[in-house]
Amino acid sequence: MNVHVPHPHRAEIRLAGSGGQGLITGMHILFRALALEGKRAAQSQSYEPTSRGGFCYSDLVVSDELGDYPLATRLDMVAALSQVGLDRSLPLLRPGALVIVDERLTPDPPREGFDLHVLPILGRAVETGSPRIANVVALGALAHLGRLVGDDALEQAVRLETPAKYADLNLAAVREGLALVRGLGASTAEA
Amino acid sequence: MTPSLAALHGNRACALAAIAAGCRFFAGYPITPSSEIAEQLSRELPRVDGVFIQMEDEIGSLAAVIGASLGGVKVMTATSGPGFSLMQENLGYAAMTETPCVIVNVMRGGPSTGMPTRPSQGDIMQARWGTHGDHPIVVLAPASVQEIYDETIRAFNLAEEFRTPVIVAYDETIAHLLESVVIPQRRTVATVTRKFARGDEQGFQPYAETEDLVPPMARPGDGHRVHVTGLTHMADGFPTQKPDLAARATRRLLDKIEQNRDRIERTETFEVEDAEVLIVAVGIVARAARRAAQDLRSAGARAGLFRPVTLWPFPEQALIEAAAKARHVLVAEMNAGQLALEVERILGRGRVARLNRIDGEPIPPADIARSIREIAA
Amino acid sequence: MNEAVRTNFDIKDYLRLEMMPHFMCPGCGHGIALRCLLWAVHELGVDKNRLAVVSGIGCSGRVGAYIDANTFHTTHGRPLAFATGLKLARPDLTVVVITGDGDCLAIGGNHLIHACRRNLDITCLMLNNEVYGMTGGQVSPTTAIDRLTTTTPHGNAEPTFDACRLADAAGASFVGREVTRQAPALKSVIKAGLAHEGFAFIEVLSDCTEIYGRKNDLGESPEMILAQKSDMRPEAFGNAADEPFRPNRLRAGVLVQRDRPEYGRVYRERAAAERAKAKAKG
Repeated sequence: MNVHVPHPHRAEIRLAGSGGQGLITGMHILFRALALEGKRAAQSQSYEPTSRGGFCYSDLVVSDELGDYPLATRLDMVAALSQVGLDRSLPLLRPGALVIVDERLTPDPPREGFDLHVLPILGRAVETGSPRIANVVALGALAHLGRLVGDDALEQAVRLETPAKYADLNLAAVREGLALVRGLGASTAEA
Repeated sequence: MTPSLAALHGNRACALAAIAAGCRFFAGYPITPSSEIAEQLSRELPRVDGVFIQMEDEIGSLAAVIGASLGGVKVMTATSGPGFSLMQENLGYAAMTETPCVIVNVMRGGPSTGMPTRPSQGDIMQARWGTHGDHPIVVLAPASVQEIYDETIRAFNLAEEFRTPVIVAYDETIAHLLESVVIPQRRTVATVTRKFARGDEQGFQPYAETEDLVPPMARPGDGHRVHVTGLTHMADGFPTQKPDLAARATRRLLDKIEQNRDRIERTETFEVEDAEVLIVAVGIVARAARRAAQDLRSAGARAGLFRPVTLWPFPEQALIEAAAKARHVLVAEMNAGQLALEVERILGRGRVARLNRIDGEPIPPADIARSIREIAA
Repeated sequence: MNEAVRTNFDIKDYLRLEMMPHFMCPGCGHGIALRCLLWAVHELGVDKNRLAVVSGIGCSGRVGAYIDANTFHTTHGRPLAFATGLKLARPDLTVVVITGDGDCLAIGGNHLIHACRRNLDITCLMLNNEVYGMTGGQVSPTTAIDRLTTTTPHGNAEPTFDACRLADAAGASFVGREVTRQAPALKSVIKAGLAHEGFAFIEVLSDCTEIYGRKNDLGESPEMILAQKSDMRPEAFGNAADEPFRPNRLRAGVLVQRDRPEYGRVYRERAAAERAKAKAKG
C-alpha cells in the first residue's frame, strides 16, 4: 500500500479520542469508502456501558485475506482527538507509524519515533460549521496521508454514511481535512 | 441474481439471517451485548408478518418462543450470560419436548453480572450442560460476521430437522464487529422446515420411534390433538415412569443427535496436515490463532489450527485426525479452561497445553505465538 | 363460536377416556373445575382441534392432560409465558391456561401481572386450593393465616394474596371468581371469560381435602365445599376491608370487565399498517 503499511496485505488504522466525538461514524465512512474500491475491512470499537466521555476508539483493519484477525495488533496509523486517546493508543503503535493529532486537543504529542502531524483539526471544524465534524476533518487528513482511499470514494462514502441533512457539512469537513495535508503525503513517503 | 455484499455488525447479521431462515417469532429481554438482535428483529419481523415481543424476563422469553414453536412457527431468542442462565429451565423443556428453537448467546465476561461489555467464552460448558439431566444439544460457534450469518441459518435448519434446541454462541467481539458479508439472494437460501404430522389422526404417536429418530410434529389445528409434557413420556406423549420406557425415551433423544453427527458437525482446519503444533480455538480466538499460525509458519515453525464450528456435539473424530501428527496441542480460550477439558478428554492430557485469558480482553495473535514457542522449546 | 347455547353436553366428548382413571384424589375440586371448563367450551362451540390448553406444574398442571385438545404441560410458573408465544403466533387458536395458586402467584407471579397488562386473548383459570398439593402440602401464597401445612408446622404467619385484586390492579380486562360448589355459576364465569376478547383471569376456589383439609380438620370434601364461600379470606376482592367477616360474603361471578384493546389485534394492525407504508414507499 504505502510507507505506513509494511505488511502488504494488512493495514491497521485507529481514530482515538473520547466518547461522543463521532469516531465510530468516522470509521464507518472509511469502511464504506474502502468497500467502494472493492477492499475488505473489519471495524471494531471500544464498547463501554457509557456512551459519552472517557477513552474511546474505533479501529479499522484492512486486509485482503478472508477471515484475518479483525482486531488491531500493531497500529500503522492513528488520528487522535484527545490526549487520553493518544496516550492509550501509543503502546499499540508500531515504530514510524503515522500519527495525526489536533494542535489543541492533544497538547502533548510524542516528539520522536513517529511520522507526526500536528494539525488544526478542531479549528477547521469550527470554521467550517461545527466542532462536531472534527471527526470527519481528521478522517480526511488520515485517509489522504495514509493513502488509504481515493478522494472520490471518500467523498461518496461521506454522502452514504451521514444523514442527508448534514451531508453538505460533512463533505465540507472531509474536504477541509484533505486540504490540510494535500501535498504532505508525497513528501512523507519520500522521507 | 447475484448475492450482495453488505457491511454488517455481527448481531445485525444474526437478525437478518434469522429472517432469511424463516424465523417468524422472536421473544427476548434486553441484555448487553445481545440487544441489537432484538432491536433489529423488532423492525424486521412485522415486515414479514412475524411477531416480536419483549417479555418480562428471559425465562418468559424462552417460554414464549417454545410456545410459538409448538404452534408451528420458526422461532428464536437471543441473550447473554445472565439471561442464558435463566433460560436453562426451558432449554431443557425444549430438548425434552423436541421443540425446535434457536437460542443466541452472546458471551460476555462472567460469572454473574461480570463484565457486560467485555468478550468472553465462559459459556462453553454451560451451553452443553447448563440445563439439568441428560439432554441433547447442538451448539454452533461462529468466528466472523459472515459465519454468524451462515451459522444462524444453519442453526434454524438443524433445529427444524432434528426437533431440538440449537444454540448459537459467539463472543462480544464478533457481535460488535463490522465486516463485509455476502448476503445470498433470499430464494437461494436453503431452508429446512420440520416434518409436520399429516393424516392418521387416530392413534397418532407424537413421539414414535421413527426410523430417523425424529418423529413428525403435530401442529395445533391440524386435528391430532396431542399432549406435550416435560415429564418423561412414552411414544403417545403421556407421562411414564416405567424404567424400560423411560430409558428408551431418553436414549432416543440422545441418539437422534449422536447418530447424526456427520450432518451436524462442522469444522475448519488450517495447515494441519503436517502440523507439529496444533492450536484448538473457537470464535475470535480462532482468528487470532490463525494469524499466529501464519506468522509461525513464516518463521519456519509447523503450526496449524483446528476450529470446531459445531462446538457441541464436539467433533471428536475430526480433532483426532487433525492432531494426528501434532506433538503439542494448545487450547486457547477466553475462560479459565473449558474447551481444554474436552480436548484433553479426547487426546489425553500429555500433549495438551492451555492458554487462558479471563480479563475481558481478546487473546491477541502474538500471545498465542509466544505460548507455542514456549511449549515447543 | 356459535351464538346459540348448545345443550346436550357430554363430558366424554371432551376427555381422553383412555387416560382414565385420573390421578386426582377423592374429593379434589379440580375435577369440578375441569368439568365446568369443558361445559363452557361445549356451550360456546369451541372446536377442540383449535383449543389449546397450556398448564404449569402442580396438581392443576396435570388437569390439562385429560382434555381431548392440544394440551401443553409446561414448566413451573411459566404457562402464561408459553401461552403468550402460542397465542401471538397462532391467533386462530382458543388458548386456555390452567394454573394453580403456587404456579400462578408465587413462581409465576411476574408472568401473571404482565399477562394482565398486555391483554392478549387468553383465558386463565387459576385453581386455588390454598396449598402445594403435588409436592406434599406446603404453604402457598393463598394459604389462610394460621393454617397448618408441612412448611408451617406452627400455623401460617404470612399474609394471603388476593389474586383477583392483583389481576385487577395489573389491568386484566376480565376478572372473575367462582367456587366449585356452584358448578353452573362457575361454568358461566368461564364461558364469559372465554367469550371476552382479552385477558380473562378467573380464580376457581377449589379444595384439597386429602392433605390440606385433613391436616387442618376442615372435614371431608362436602364440608370443605360447603364452607367455600364463608370460610375463605374475609379480606378478599370486593369485600371492604373494614367490613366485618360474615358468612357468604365472598364476592363471586364476574368482578371486573373492561373494554381494552386486545394486544394481538393491536400488534397485527400496527404491523399491517407498517407493511402498507413500506409497500407504498416501494
